[in-house]
Amino acid sequence: MARVARPLAVMLLSAGTVAYEILLARVFAIEYFHHFAYMAIGIAMLGSGVSGTAWALAGGMRYRRAAPWFVWASTLTAVTLTLSPTLVHLIALDPTQLAWDLAQWPRLALVYLLLALPFSAGAFAVVLALTLEPDHLGRIYGASFLGAGLGAALALGILWVASPARALALPAVVASAGGVVAAHGAVQSWRTVSLAWLPVLVAVAVFQRPLWRIAVTPYKGLPQVEAYPAARRTAERASPEGWVVAVAAPAFRFAPGLSLAFRGQFSSQTALFVDGQIAGAVASWDSGATGVEVLDWLPSAAPYALGSQRRVLIIGAGGGTEVSNALAHGARSVTAVELHPDIARLTEELARPVPPPAVRSRVQWIVGDARSYVARAGEQFDLVTLGPAGGFGASVAGIHSLNEDFLHTVEAYAAYLDRLSEGGVLAITRWLTVPPRENVRVILTAAEALRRRQPDAPPGLAVVRTWATGTVLVKPAGFTVAEIEGLRTWATRCRFDVDWFPGTGRPAPAFNQLDEPTLFLAAAAAAAGRAAAARFASTYPFDVRPADDARPYPHHFVRTRSLGAFVTSDRGSWLPFVEWGSVALLATLCQSVVLAGLLLLVPAALRSRAPGGRPTLRLIGYFTAIGLGYLTAEIAAIQQLGLLLGHPIYGVAVALAAFLVASGAGSVWSDRVRPARGWRVPATVAVMLLICSAFLLHLVHLLQPSPWMARAAVAVLALVPLAFTMGPPFPIGLRLLAGGDPPLVAWAWAANGFASVIAAPLAALVALEAGSRALFLVGAVAYAGSAALVGWGVPAGRSGASPALGVEQPRGG
Amino acid sequence: MRILPALALVAGAADGQDLQHAADARYRAQRLAMVEQQIAAHGVRDPATLSAMRTVPRHAFVPAEQRDRAYGDHPLPIGFGQTISQPYIVAYMTETIRPKAGMRVLEVGTGSGYQAAILAAIGCEVYTVEIFEALATSARERLEQLGFGNVTVRHADGYDGWAAAAPFDAILVTAAAGFIPPVLLRQLKPGGRMVIPVGSVYGVQNLILVEQDAAGDLRTRNLLPVRFVPMLSGLR
Repeated sequence: MARVARPLAVMLLSAGTVAYEILLARVFAIEYFHHFAYMAIGIAMLGSGVSGTAWALAGGMRYRRAAPWFVWASTLTAVTLTLSPTLVHLIALDPTQLAWDLAQWPRLALVYLLLALPFSAGAFAVVLALTLEPDHLGRIYGASFLGAGLGAALALGILWVASPARALALPAVVASAGGVVAAHGAVQSWRTVSLAWLPVLVAVAVFQRPLWRIAVTPYKGLPQVEAYPAARRTAERASPEGWVVAVAAPAFRFAPGLSLAFRGQFSSQTALFVDGQIAGAVASWDSGATGVEVLDWLPSAAPYALGSQRRVLIIGAGGGTEVSNALAHGARSVTAVELHPDIARLTEELARPVPPPAVRSRVQWIVGDARSYVARAGEQFDLVTLGPAGGFGASVAGIHSLNEDFLHTVEAYAAYLDRLSEGGVLAITRWLTVPPRENVRVILTAAEALRRRQPDAPPGLAVVRTWATGTVLVKPAGFTVAEIEGLRTWATRCRFDVDWFPGTGRPAPAFNQLDEPTLFLAAAAAAAGRAAAARFASTYPFDVRPADDARPYPHHFVRTRSLGAFVTSDRGSWLPFVEWGSVALLATLCQSVVLAGLLLLVPAALRSRAPGGRPTLRLIGYFTAIGLGYLTAEIAAIQQLGLLLGHPIYGVAVALAAFLVASGAGSVWSDRVRPARGWRVPATVAVMLLICSAFLLHLVHLLQPSPWMARAAVAVLALVPLAFTMGPPFPIGLRLLAGGDPPLVAWAWAANGFASVIAAPLAALVALEAGSRALFLVGAVAYAGSAALVGWGVPAGRSGASPALGVEQPRGG
Repeated sequence: MRILPALALVAGAADGQDLQHAADARYRAQRLAMVEQQIAAHGVRDPATLSAMRTVPRHAFVPAEQRDRAYGDHPLPIGFGQTISQPYIVAYMTETIRPKAGMRVLEVGTGSGYQAAILAAIGCEVYTVEIFEALATSARERLEQLGFGNVTVRHADGYDGWAAAAPFDAILVTAAAGFIPPVLLRQLKPGGRMVIPVGSVYGVQNLILVEQDAAGDLRTRNLLPVRFVPMLSGLR
């Protein structure tokens, strides 16, 4: 019975803990910000490595107690999955005060500890299961992977039908079923079995009535707008793509970069929030309302000052302001692309008064990824326009710095240019930071995209700057004199500055003054040629090089080497330039490395002086290398295939599922690999990763115009051989380096667990600085290193050993 | 029998007064250090502004549990997702409007009332509007208690400004994000100045100055990075 029960229990426990990880990330992203969620959960995941260290240090007779401990660990996993979110929500933690309020640090430590409990207990149960099943390594290993895949699917699925607060209670239900299965399988006393049922009852009750509620940090826009007089929530939708809320409040007004010369009236607006942050506003700006006048005073009206734009493509059309803008300026047809289905739906539903059928028939909404749409769309547009996404605060605070954004890369701009009609215009409006960063990058990126399209022609660029935004206009056919005159007349009326157009001299005294005419200088360098643009970028205080699909971080500007300047600068003087996403990444990495050192290397060093079960450098090195290699390769593949699949949620889901299932199958297959040839598997992985580095992105670009199902099928087919080959190195390594020695198995587990946790922020940093191609190379180096470690001088007695013990965590290797 | 408790009360009151004096002296020392190290050292020169910053008890404008951090070089939470700005930002904004005694100033976003108190300490006639009623009420009470009689607090939507008290020599907007209410610009005197900090409440704030000339023409200037120019060389 145990032979069936243990793998089944492991599957359910893995499903519970992985679902908890994903759902907790969602809840924290709503309550706080994404980067805090990343850090808190990243540190908590160290708990899985701690379980290995603890088991390795247990030693001696305790290994004989593995069977009952497995039952207790399984039950404990379920209990902690209920306790952890309950207690965490009782702690009054304010992460914004961490920099100057020492009282927040013990609270943060307590949050880490509480979050780590279920991961530790779950991982401990898996280690124990594998200790107990030395002859069925593949089965346990596969169950763990399958459970992880199931957990990811459950986490995404529950978010369709339950609120994020209730969804967070589901992992305990799943894991408690695992506890019951473990108890029944162990054929223990009725008392043990009864106790194992108790968490099921508690978990189901908590699922029905969660013990916690989602409390959004007051520093997000949603609680602030809801606190306005007469504010009311008019719609609320939850899905895996985000928690969307619409709030109507008379005091809410949204007009990004509105001209200071505007003297008219506003229509009422409904604010749209995703995960508590402003995502746009729905306004009643039909052509009959008085409020329509305001549209011509927005920076995004710049392309209409050039002349009539009959066919308009709007990328990121949520809220509908730009749709109204196009219609108000006489567009005959408007194609509005919006990634978030709820935002698109609410934009149509909340528009009041409802536009007449004649107007509605001119607008076509496309719900989906703009890159995919642009790649497959056959039609041409007179105007392709992208507006500023999110609120100003998020932009200047570097909240988005780690976001992969394939809409503002050189390849993306080139694709938009390809969709332009003869004489068509591409318009990109971004928030203006000081010193300018994003606008400078847009100028350099647009010029580079234009140069790839028509190498010999001078770039048809114009740049309009307001007190808060910068708009870059790109016209491959070049601007006419009349168009430039129209643009300048409109800009003067609005008190905007035209910083650049072909043939301009140094700009005249501006309406909106900067210390340096930076946008003029950037545009002049971009127009002068590729070498001049590169020279300008290299001497600019921030990293403003164009982003590309291999390094899709257009909102990241601080160079890593500049971090030293931050540390040594006056207190507070670095604040305006800090990117909180990068800070969270570095903080996670530093904390992970320190904690891994304390919880793995120190105990291992102490243990190495004691007789028996001593971890060797080779063992630690091998399992660390494959942990690093697996995560870096997985992150690189998911990033590149995310572009192919065109959706941040479903793209990741498909890629993750393919990885987990194929790696599980590969581990089962690993039982057939002769240990003496074990080094060949990681070596093969290294070669495959080199191939991915060179060719995968080309394949992605080639397939982008294909239907989604075809792209998903190709993504799976591309991933499966790689992921399958990445499954075996862990069990093979155990056979070769640990044999059947339980402490060594535990050390291997711990090393792999810690490496996996460290690898996540490390891989993100590498991707940020060098791109996903480089990330594949890092993975290749890690696997090549592991091949060398396992193939070189392995003791003969171990190389022939049959599979004895194996451990795995779902994404470690 | 009843004398002893009475004596104890007197002794307790004396102790309380001593403690209060000690606390006041400590806060005063912190306040002076704040002005020297965080404000004057970073380029704020206006004597009236510096004098007000030395005088107004910032610790009285933060929640009780935050008082020990009141003079730190950072913003602090005051509820409703609002903050009392970093001392330097308050000083810089104040200096930027070139404050003088008798000037009529509109503040949009009262918050704790600290900015209004600084202006009042200089001698300005301050009109301040707060959209969150609880903040408006607490700021009004606090300012009255501290004796700032030349501040008028109103709970209202700052979008409409304060037409009855307009025009203003200067306007400070502390609640704008990507949007400056057009009505406010109409309430600014020719030659008047408006200052707007935009950005996230923690860390990043771009200060923008709007100047209206005698003819009513508007120009803007991004201000704050001036302070950070020396810093940029380290980022190359």
